Amino acid sequence: MSWSINTRCSIRRQARWSLVAASLLVLAALASAQDVELRVPSTVTAGQAAAVTSSGSGRATFYLLGPSTAMKRDAQLGEQILLPAKELQAAGRYVALMCTDTCSSAAFFVVAAKPASLTFVAHPSRAPVAVNDVISGVALPFDEFHNLVLAPQDVDFQMSAKGGAPVSHKVQTKDGVAWFRASSGKTAGPLQVQASINDVIARRVVQQVASDPCRLRINGQRTSKGIEVATEPVRDCSGNPVPDGTIVTFTAKGDGETSTVDAPVKQDVARAWITADGPVVISAASGVVMGNELRVGGGK
Amino acid sequence: MTTNIGNRRSFSRSVLVAFVLFGVLFPGLAKAARPGASPVDSAPPDSSAPQVALNITNAGPRAIEALTEHAVLRDYKFAWARMSQALETNSPDLLNGLLEGTASVWLSDEIKSQRRAGMNSRCLNQVHKVDAVFYSPEGDLLELHDTAEYDLQISDSGKMIHNQHVVVHYVVLMTPGADRWVVRQIQSVPQF
Repeated sequence: MSWSINTRCSIRRQARWSLVAASLLVLAALASAQDVELRVPSTVTAGQAAAVTSSGSGRATFYLLGPSTAMKRDAQLGEQILLPAKELQAAGRYVALMCTDTCSSAAFFVVAAKPASLTFVAHPSRAPVAVNDVISGVALPFDEFHNLVLAPQDVDFQMSAKGGAPVSHKVQTKDGVAWFRASSGKTAGPLQVQASINDVIARRVVQQVASDPCRLRINGQRTSKGIEVATEPVRDCSGNPVPDGTIVTFTAKGDGETSTVDAPVKQDVARAWITADGPVVISAASGVVMGNELRVGGGK
Repeated sequence: MTTNIGNRRSFSRSVLVAFVLFGVLFPGLAKAARPGASPVDSAPPDSSAPQVALNITNAGPRAIEALTEHAVLRDYKFAWARMSQALETNSPDLLNGLLEGTASVWLSDEIKSQRRAGMNSRCLNQVHKVDAVFYSPEGDLLELHDTAEYDLQISDSGKMIHNQHVVVHYVVLMTPGADRWVVRQIQSVPQF
């Protein structure tokens, strides 16, 4: 009986010790698995190499997942892992993983490098002269890897027309964008629009064209073909000749009848022939502008 | 007494048969009727469909028209659905027409690298809070700030190696295409 009790006690003790030992082993295994600590740089500039370090020892698998990359390679715990510049060109969030039995992870950001190009959009391609806020431009700086540069940058917008002094306007980018709005000049012709950040320059051309005709004057005379009527050179309010093709409408009233004819401006002048035997009153209009009235007597 | 037991057994059998038949004929209803359905059965209708909320009140200098707002919301949501699908299945073709320029190149490169490494990634349970912060004077460029939350799962040869709920800030540039708004740049940043 006494032997039997001793045996039972010793079996229980052995079982307890085995349990404790097993628990310790499990804990040790867990501790060793969770101990791997990944140290990553807080931020990296795009196109620059970086290094990731880990604690512990032994073999592991390293993973890197980023905006334009996914890589996997064997690694040795405790040793530095070099991330080549080529893998870190795209700005954004990268996840580094070190896996043994379990995986440890850490995230870091790659930020854009200095501006290397400017995306510059200027509108419109043709702008009428002397119109308020008709020209606009948007500039976005990008680094050499096509990352949008979000750190504030001073963008110098410059506009220069032939024969005029250039006009400059400095704008700081906000969220990677700088923009401006400007009025057109008074002279028709090409307007050079430029956006620059230091030596990074983007140029565009806006063609300034004459606005609507400002005043119309017509002259006419009876000829063998009818009444030839023509405008004086048609200009806008700034004195620029309106573009060819601008339509001038001639209206002839006489004998209770009204007839109209549309004529395009060609080399500054619009010209038309009106057939009427009796006396007529001819007027001209283009857009919202009315010209003078011309009285032509009967032809018989 | 014996008869009673027999009746009870045949009643139970009838109930069981009826339940099985009900389950076979109306699987959807049967699932909904079971209060203790398993987690797999009770998964959300589509955990890969992104939820996107767009706020346009801070957009400028041009105001965003209602039709544009709807189009941007629709196209951005669809772009994320396709991006997730492309990353999960390693199919860059899914991005065609939705992403252009740098956004397309980067994501395609990531997918190709994933495929080479035998990896894939999933963005589950996406919730996007999107602010339109810039709309160009001529309406040809839109910048969005997207605070996205999702469960990022990374797998290697089908074995999940990473599963983390993340909050990521994205700066997004979109431009109008022929029939939709396309994502031209999508760049995650530490903060706005």
